Amino acid sequence: MKRFLIMISIAVALVGSVGLGGVVFAQEQAPMTEAHIARIRANCNDTKSTLQQLHATDAGLRVNRGQIYESIATKLMAPLNGRLVLNRLDSEPFLNIADEYEQQLQAFRLQYQQYDEAMSATLRINCVNQPVAFYDSVVDTRTKRQLTHEATIKLHSIIEKYGLEVKNFSDKFETSKP
Amino acid sequence: MNEGEHIIGGEKLSLLQQHRFLLLILGSVVIAILLTAVSLKLYASSGAAQLDLSRPGYEQVADKKAPSTVFEGFPTVGPINKQTLKEFQALYTKRADQATKVDSFGGDVMNDATLSIDAPTE
Repeated sequence: MKRFLIMISIAVALVGSVGLGGVVFAQEQAPMTEAHIARIRANCNDTKSTLQQLHATDAGLRVNRGQIYESIATKLMAPLNGRLVLNRLDSEPFLNIADEYEQQLQAFRLQYQQYDEAMSATLRINCVNQPVAFYDSVVDTRTKRQLTHEATIKLHSIIEKYGLEVKNFSDKFETSKP
Repeated sequence: MNEGEHIIGGEKLSLLQQHRFLLLILGSVVIAILLTAVSLKLYASSGAAQLDLSRPGYEQVADKKAPSTVFEGFPTVGPINKQTLKEFQALYTKRADQATKVDSFGGDVMNDATLSIDAPTE
């Protein structure tokens, strides 16, 4: 009996802490006003239409950008690195940058996938019946789109870094082998 | 012998043995459903779905997809000299410009105001 009471107390404490957490979380977000909710409902169709168009455009962008990013890794960086190794030249900086690029490319793929899934989830929500859930989902999708954008910025900086390394290598090569 | 009982070579066939053809078909259907479910799961989780512009709703962008011109890239085998390095730099700069000139997934297109879901000012 005593053990049973202890278990019940633990269960109540756990449920209570989770519930309290929920309340705190809800309090952290500014409550939406009725006017705001009404605006979301009123513009529901237009907003969804805009998001659908954006979703489709971004899918095309992902395919086109993805092809270019992939080709830089497989058709430019990898062949040059291979040649440097075969010619017994110092390839270490190039290999490191190519490795960093590959990791960032993987991060970009994952980030875009998460954004795409978030956008699909947003578009499935009925914004007339669930305006608050719809708004929260839009905020989440926006954050994931921003993270995808940041992933592309990082990729661009690595592309520039590799280009700079090639330039430095070429300059040294020209001075060492006139 | 009761009606419905099957005897081959003096041995009575069990229910499973009697309906083995039906079981074969059912088994094949179950295996096909399982493999299809696994394939769909992989299609969704691997990121292949995101590259598939033949999905419903993407027809208009599928036409706008850049034509897949064959980019030969830099030859894998060969010497490293001034000439090859220059060739590489020219190829790389061109491709890097294509990659970096577009500000992908940026901008304010998902702003509350742009989507007309911002809180109205009183």
